Amino acid sequence: MQIKQLSAVFPNAVNSYCPGCEHGLLLKFIAMALEELGITEKAVMVGSVGCSTLAFKFLNIDYVQAPHGRAPAIMTGIKEVEPEAIVFAVQGDGDALSIGLQELIYAANRGIPVTVFMYNNMVFGMTGGQMAPTTPEGMVTMTTPFGRNTEKSGPPIYSCELLSGLSRPSYIRRVVIAPKPVQLKDRVLYSSKEANESYKAVVSALKTQMMGGFSYVEFLGTCNVNWKMSILDSKKYAHNVSAKVYPPGLFRDRFGVDSVES
Amino acid sequence: MRWFQVKRLLMGAEAIAEAAVDAGLEAYFGYPITPSSEIMENLAILHARHRSDKFKVYFQSASEVESINLLMGAGAAGHISMTATSGPGLSLMAEGISYAYTSEIPLVIIDVNRGGPGLGNVAPEQSDYLFVTKSLGHGGSKGIVLAPSSIQEAMGQVRMAFELSFKFRMPVIILTEAIIIHMLESVEQDHQFPVNVETSWSARGRKNGARHLINSIYLEPSEFREIKIKLEEKWKAVEPLSECFMCDDAETLFVAYGISARIAMEAATDLRGRGIKAGVFRPITLNPFPGKMLVDAARNSRRIVVIEMNEGQMVHDVQYWVRRDVEQIPFMGGIYPDTEEVLEKCK
Ligand SMILES: Cc1ncc(C[n+]2csc(CCOP(=O)(O)OP(=O)(O)O)c2C)c(N)n1
Ligand code: SF4
Repeated sequence: MQIKQLSAVFPNAVNSYCPGCEHGLLLKFIAMALEELGITEKAVMVGSVGCSTLAFKFLNIDYVQAPHGRAPAIMTGIKEVEPEAIVFAVQGDGDALSIGLQELIYAANRGIPVTVFMYNNMVFGMTGGQMAPTTPEGMVTMTTPFGRNTEKSGPPIYSCELLSGLSRPSYIRRVVIAPKPVQLKDRVLYSSKEANESYKAVVSALKTQMMGGFSYVEFLGTCNVNWKMSILDSKKYAHNVSAKVYPPGLFRDRFGVDSVES
Repeated sequence: MRWFQVKRLLMGAEAIAEAAVDAGLEAYFGYPITPSSEIMENLAILHARHRSDKFKVYFQSASEVESINLLMGAGAAGHISMTATSGPGLSLMAEGISYAYTSEIPLVIIDVNRGGPGLGNVAPEQSDYLFVTKSLGHGGSKGIVLAPSSIQEAMGQVRMAFELSFKFRMPVIILTEAIIIHMLESVEQDHQFPVNVETSWSARGRKNGARHLINSIYLEPSEFREIKIKLEEKWKAVEPLSECFMCDDAETLFVAYGISARIAMEAATDLRGRGIKAGVFRPITLNPFPGKMLVDAARNSRRIVVIEMNEGQMVHDVQYWVRRDVEQIPFMGGIYPDTEEVLEKCK
């Protein structure tokens, strides 16, 4: 098999993410989708603050760094003056739903044709594993050493459901990006279903933007380092806990892009 | 486009809006706040009437936090963008200004001072001097600060702000007061060509060339050190501007900017009539502060009197440069300088 160099990825790029993290996988899917759709040359990535910040060292495309949580506003500014550009951001759950919720809701509510890829690992990853708006009840984090008490903090924020309450977003989807472990007698195999679905969601979201709509995809990923688990256990946790708290699904597909085979 | 000049009677806000569109404004983003809102309202009309082909984007934001980031997006894509706000709004923009400074994003902010701190009031003060000249965002970020003392000058400074923001790729602030925004003055309106700006560095997609990186994170200290040296060198190339009004033989030298300077000029003229040699030194750029020019203007003066509409903010800069006793006549709470009061104190 011939391995093709993706034009949106630096040839000598190194993956600086922790082993077992799907952040790097998501960037790779984005690079592949840009190539497949032929939009690499007009792509502008807006960097958020979190583990996705250093994506500019990996992706060889135009890039603007946003302050923590403000990526949707920066994207709006770019798209307003450069309607031909393909503008997207990778935001963490803390970035998008804690400090940046207002910016996200306004971009979504206006239906600005930009794309948010939201990596939900249910903690603040970059800062060392503190509680995020998405941390489920009872989960132990650095700032909830006895488990999250939603009595005080309020229940987790369901971003796809929240955005579905707005009329303008055109594509809203939640997928699991962490591959599902399958335990065989002597070894563990990982399913490729999650990768296929995640890639498809990336393509659909960008297609939606090209058709003039706002698109949002939430990826349920892991953070084994801050979850303090082995890589294998973190993948199980993503399927047994994350995906149970946040049921995957297609919440909206105004242009029917998911049904068209890519 | 023809180059012509007309004389008109305009309100400050209207004149600034018109000057911005004439100078080639491409995108306005703003959140209403008194006493700046009339600038936005006038731009809404000019946009709706398609006054200029270049003025494509007019956008009411959800907050000043959003405003500054919208400006940064448009600026990073190489388009001339502007907002107008007042102190409470500028506080919310400080985060973005800091990112814009390191990322070298051009943008223009008109700050119409109001009475502060806190919600204060909407009467004219010059309460944001220290904020805009000394602490415009975390980490030591800066911006060029221009202070007009007439509507005519404000119009010229809008054009200058667009040019400077792209020449130096940094935020430019026009610091003004409610008096300038709300008064009517007769002005000459220049219909010149829109400013020409260089945008080859901007992020609009790499378009089969090298990619463009608009960034403010440098984790490697040695790399960041080089970046900071470069930013400082760039800053040092910004030229300070000032005006001297009867400074040469002035024994009593007023130092004032913006609308206070006009009142100081009136007082100086009056004092000359009474045989007191008075003059006015007016900083036009508040940052960089025209310190050397001040020292030069003050060489014959026996008294240096700072007039400003706050508790005493610019007085620290004046003191730093002249290194001798400086008197001050502060006007606070939204009360503007009264010539009689100034004369009384300087007799
Ligand atoms: C204004 C501001 N507040 C706080 C921080 C510190 N900070 C950096 S990243 C982050 C949260 C990151 O979590 P998330 O968005 O979930 O992304 P992840 O790293 O998990 O991918 C925080 C709080 C900051 N950079 N700026
Ligand atoms: S800290 Fe967590 S989210 Fe960040 S790279 Fe490591 S595993 Fe991934």
